[in-house]
Amino acid sequence: MTFPFRKTLLSASVSLAALFAGAAVMAQEAVFVLNTSEVGAPTYNPIKATNLNKATTLIFDRLVSQAADLSYHPWLAESWEEAPDGMAWTFHLKKGVKFHNGEPFNANTVKEWLELFKASENAYMTEAVAEVQVIDDATVKFVMSRPEPNLLYNLSSSYMSVIEPKSYKELGDNYGVTEVYGTGPFKLESFAIGQETVLTRNDDYTWGSPLSKNTGPAKIAKITFREIAEDSTAFLELKTGGVDMLLGVPADLIGEVKKEANLAVLTMPGQDVYYMPINVTKPPFDDIKVREAAAKAINQEEILASVFGGIGSVADTFLISALPEGHVPDADKIHYDPVRANALLDEAGWKMGANGVREKDGQPLKVSLWTQSDSIFRRLTEVVQAQLKAVGIEAEITTFDSSMIRDQYKTGEQQLAVRSYNWDNADIVDWFFGGDRLGYPNVSMFNDPKAEELRAKAMTGSKNMEERVANFTAYHDYVLTQFPMAPIYQPVDAVAYNADHLVLPDTINAPGIGPVAIMDMEVKE
Amino acid sequence: MSAAAPIRALRRPSGGVAGLWLALVALAAVAAPLLTPYAYDVQALREAYQAPSAAHWLGTDEFGRDLLTRLIYGARTSLSVSATAIAISVACGMVLGAAAAWFGGWFDRAVTVVVDLTWSFPEILIALILVAIIGPGTTGTMIAISVAYLAQFTRLTRAQIMTLKGETFIEAARSLGAGNAHILLRHLLPNALAPVLVSAMLATGDAIILEATLGFFGLGAQPPTPSWGGMMSAGSALVFKAPWIIIFPGLTVAITVIAINLYGDALIAALDIRAKLRRAA
Repeated sequence: MTFPFRKTLLSASVSLAALFAGAAVMAQEAVFVLNTSEVGAPTYNPIKATNLNKATTLIFDRLVSQAADLSYHPWLAESWEEAPDGMAWTFHLKKGVKFHNGEPFNANTVKEWLELFKASENAYMTEAVAEVQVIDDATVKFVMSRPEPNLLYNLSSSYMSVIEPKSYKELGDNYGVTEVYGTGPFKLESFAIGQETVLTRNDDYTWGSPLSKNTGPAKIAKITFREIAEDSTAFLELKTGGVDMLLGVPADLIGEVKKEANLAVLTMPGQDVYYMPINVTKPPFDDIKVREAAAKAINQEEILASVFGGIGSVADTFLISALPEGHVPDADKIHYDPVRANALLDEAGWKMGANGVREKDGQPLKVSLWTQSDSIFRRLTEVVQAQLKAVGIEAEITTFDSSMIRDQYKTGEQQLAVRSYNWDNADIVDWFFGGDRLGYPNVSMFNDPKAEELRAKAMTGSKNMEERVANFTAYHDYVLTQFPMAPIYQPVDAVAYNADHLVLPDTINAPGIGPVAIMDMEVKE
Repeated sequence: MSAAAPIRALRRPSGGVAGLWLALVALAAVAAPLLTPYAYDVQALREAYQAPSAAHWLGTDEFGRDLLTRLIYGARTSLSVSATAIAISVACGMVLGAAAAWFGGWFDRAVTVVVDLTWSFPEILIALILVAIIGPGTTGTMIAISVAYLAQFTRLTRAQIMTLKGETFIEAARSLGAGNAHILLRHLLPNALAPVLVSAMLATGDAIILEATLGFFGLGAQPPTPSWGGMMSAGSALVFKAPWIIIFPGLTVAITVIAINLYGDALIAALDIRAKLRRAA
């Protein structure tokens, strides 16, 4: 019976060899944990996906890149011109760019790629492009059906990652799941939905965005993106050396990360806004006075300090503060004002009752307050509940599972809710307050004729960027004065990493951690 | 069940300690407002995250509320929801089980099939589905838990009645002219009661865990009403910052459930019904 013994010996030597091999390549490998909001993204198909994770931005490139100050810069498009009337855009493409499967990137690729958007989930991205004309191999002209000043923004979005049309058509629904080909600095090696994605370096890459120092092949050879649904579990993994970087760290964990000698935190302006939608169709909130009172009962400073440990900033409009459309008159910004809130409720006929809850015609001022089951929302909602109570509004919390709450909103039964969104363009006002999206995304059930007029003007009536900013500012401002929501908080984007293992660039000229940062990232030998 | 059995169970060392803890928790739940100077729902955000101290014996939570106070009020929620749910479950289960065993035929087959079907799913799954349908909150949790455990008591009662049905004293009662209702209520159910009540006792322990689990998912008692599971859930995100917020509710749940099990075991020994329980399971 020598066989089992020999087998054991053999397997022991094999695992030993694997161990050495592992140590040798360790130096060029890194393990990142995706932001919890990106967990479960089912595909790397940018045309059909409604949720894309960070790894997407390494597999694909885009025509245009966006810098930290939200300005636009070349990437796969070397330069572009816009016709004076906004009815045509000409893009000059970079030459010598190849997809991971060897197919060339050229003007025809762009034409075929844009056609794929028709009737897809993300069709709105290219809605204003009537036709794509191939001028020569490296020049394309977009003929527009209307001016679209937002075109560069769309082209810089990860949903407009440039895909390889030939394999896209061949693979059908498997594109983005079993196989995926882009021109990006990394190739997809494996993808297990909800678990992990392994990317390996594209050694032929020489066409990186000029916003990063390194425009050649990435310095890291292999990146594993793990999906961990619970922030505290991900933090433990980082603390114990199981992973090298967390791509999203909630404010309440930042302090804990900073306590660890080998860990570092990098914060950048965020793109999230936490807010309280107010259903304008449900009494008592069909009365604008009650809406304004509820909105002004929210003490944003107290929430920033107590719930988020002072990290981030208060929100006083619906948009992130980096956007010019957020610059509305100070009087229209929504701030905590308990005196006004109480006065408005008195005026609306809601008199303070004996038990601290206001009453009108014998009815107590009792409303529902919906939230989702993530711990940060539950904590925030309890503070909001206490703040509403302080002006005499009794809010009953109902907690829904995060994956089911959208369907609940579609019933239109909500009165108040606490939620957040992540977006860095003013068209988010249209998304959440457009009269044709009642329930969800328009949780506030807001459908106002004047708002619709301003909305149409902002969405399709702007010839250039200045006009678009002016129109969206007017639309956004009007929405704020109708109090369909109360702004609460803007977090920062924070990543935590193992400083003993990873070196991050000194400056990152991008709106968030993405390819620009990762191209300049190094693993310590 | 002889009236002395619960007392006899207390004489066993493990049963005694367990009984003492349960009495303490029940007393705290009933007398909550008298025991603590704090309110469970008033936030004092400046006093958040305080470690255990003389002023706050178990520390404060993320809203500056006294943790011991919330734990005591949480006992109200957890115990009342679990106990009520199990009581409903036992009552319905006994009626269903007895009726199925007594009438037999298609009714028995239908009940058995339905019960076996639900029996094949874990309780937590049934409870989650029901809460999703009814909606979160204490009522939803209560109904969900009682339905989740219904199968257990129906099966147990049915098995008891089935064995008792053939006994000679039933035969005797019937030949003396006793009707269905009389035999069921006076002869069968009293004899089947002991094992059902003991298993109800043990199920209450499981129900507390189930209630805490639903609370942990945010589907139980809605804030600011405290529940042990909800407190643990809030604490789980803060385990590095303020570990006491999760540790104390966790310990309370663990000790209470162990106490219920120990006392239940002592009760089984005192009643000498281990064989009856095994036969039904």
